[in-house]
Amino acid sequence: MARVVILGAGISGHTAALHLRRQLKGEHQVTVVSPNANWNWIPSNIWVGIGKMTTKQVTFPLAPIYKRKGIDHIQAKAVAIRPEGDANSSKGLVDIVYTDPSCAGTTAQVDYDFLIVATGPKLNFAATPGLGPDGNSLSVCTPGHAEQASAAFDAVVYALREGRRQTLVIGVGHGTCTCEGAAFEYTFNVDHELRERGVRDLADVIYLSNEYDLGDFGVGGMTFAQNGFETSSKLWTESLFRERGVRAVLRAHVERVDDGVLHYELLDGTKDSLAFDFAMLLPPFRGADILAFDRGGTEITAELFAPSGFLKVDADYEQKPFEEWTAEDWPKTYQCPRFSNVFGVGIAFAPPHAISQPRKSPNGTVISPAPPRTGMPSGVMGRVVARSIADRINKGASAPLGTASMAAMGAACIASAGMGMRKGTAAAMTMYPIVPDLKRFPRSGRDVYETSGEIGLGAHWTKLMLHYLFLYKAKARLGWQLIPE
Amino acid sequence: MDEVTQSIAQAPLPTPKTLRSRTSVPHQLMRFVAFNFKMLKMVRKGNH
Repeated sequence: MARVVILGAGISGHTAALHLRRQLKGEHQVTVVSPNANWNWIPSNIWVGIGKMTTKQVTFPLAPIYKRKGIDHIQAKAVAIRPEGDANSSKGLVDIVYTDPSCAGTTAQVDYDFLIVATGPKLNFAATPGLGPDGNSLSVCTPGHAEQASAAFDAVVYALREGRRQTLVIGVGHGTCTCEGAAFEYTFNVDHELRERGVRDLADVIYLSNEYDLGDFGVGGMTFAQNGFETSSKLWTESLFRERGVRAVLRAHVERVDDGVLHYELLDGTKDSLAFDFAMLLPPFRGADILAFDRGGTEITAELFAPSGFLKVDADYEQKPFEEWTAEDWPKTYQCPRFSNVFGVGIAFAPPHAISQPRKSPNGTVISPAPPRTGMPSGVMGRVVARSIADRINKGASAPLGTASMAAMGAACIASAGMGMRKGTAAAMTMYPIVPDLKRFPRSGRDVYETSGEIGLGAHWTKLMLHYLFLYKAKARLGWQLIPE
Repeated sequence: MDEVTQSIAQAPLPTPKTLRSRTSVPHQLMRFVAFNFKMLKMVRKGNH
């Protein structure tokens, strides 16, 4: 009998758990350790943040699903891993602290034969003083945060109806943030909702980001083939900003958020402040801060995890200049090089480097996006790693590992820009591959025919369809495995 | 006017025809099908 332990029940962890259970015989154990009781379809938090959906519509309890599927669910937080075991056990161990209200704070150890680290990000609001719901800005990273943002948005609309001009700043709260796409999406949902409520004229909507150009989205921008021309995501995105009357502050690192004023540094080294009535600023991410120990109890965290807290996998982590980065640097199997039974998927794996060109201000401040690795690629990594582990359990230790390099897979990103079956709209983008490969596509690193961008009602329908489809899949209902990641 | 604002100000605006096509239900139904087909193709390409 083998036991696979999965840390995290987000998109990649939950996908891995469901596929493992399907591929392993009942004698083997699949255990999910997750601090949260609910599963959350995070892309729809954007709609909670403008009051168009409720928390209940974007979440569901994990326990009944896991009970039905025969997956063990431990509601706890992993704090340390011991890949070599300890004095009493030669099996790998995970130290956990229960978050389950019935035994919150109790510590325990869980042993494993295979471990998948799928802990997602730690929302690092502490990186910027005053950032976050406990400080002076809002977030849509969790349903709870999004509900707070929705209430604050209602207050802004109330003020606008009273004829008071309001400034809404939406973007990222640090120079090293990722997920610019989510900030972009929230910006245009806010813009759309202000128009729907008839108060857009007195509102200044400002997008504040660490991107060098609009349309970078942390993937270095895109080049599309459109109407017989190659056009850039920069031009395409700028067109939307002009059409909707949204201002942009780019190449910015937020240094501090005070009550109603944020302070930022630009890439040219200059500093400025911006007064706001509403600020939704996403935090930078870091790994879940899990420690690692060898059999003797000596800390080996630095061997397993990058300084950012993300798990090192089969990537090329050698520090080299931007010009020498290649698609080959990116991991394929997500296997930890030191321990072959440990894997890292989704946001939890350490990327070898950014995708967008790294930049620093004259003051030495890093102002460039970290690479996104959410959604579609996270689900694919979860499925591929689940198959690799199932093969090793079913066929033996020499079974080959599956691959899912971000330099060989595409992604679709649908950024909602307003809700409604007739009035809704979205910006739909596809890119192939996610990580540019200049050997295969020398002109822009990507296939310009598979990389595209379009805006319209149809894209909104797709976004809505994916909301219901992925909730259905995550609930492991009939035929869930037929829905691709 | 800063560089970013200037660049946005010079970006092309969609024509009235483009704006109509973005909300036209028959046209968008076709785009919906086309985009989903493209996504499925993408999924197949990344399927390992």
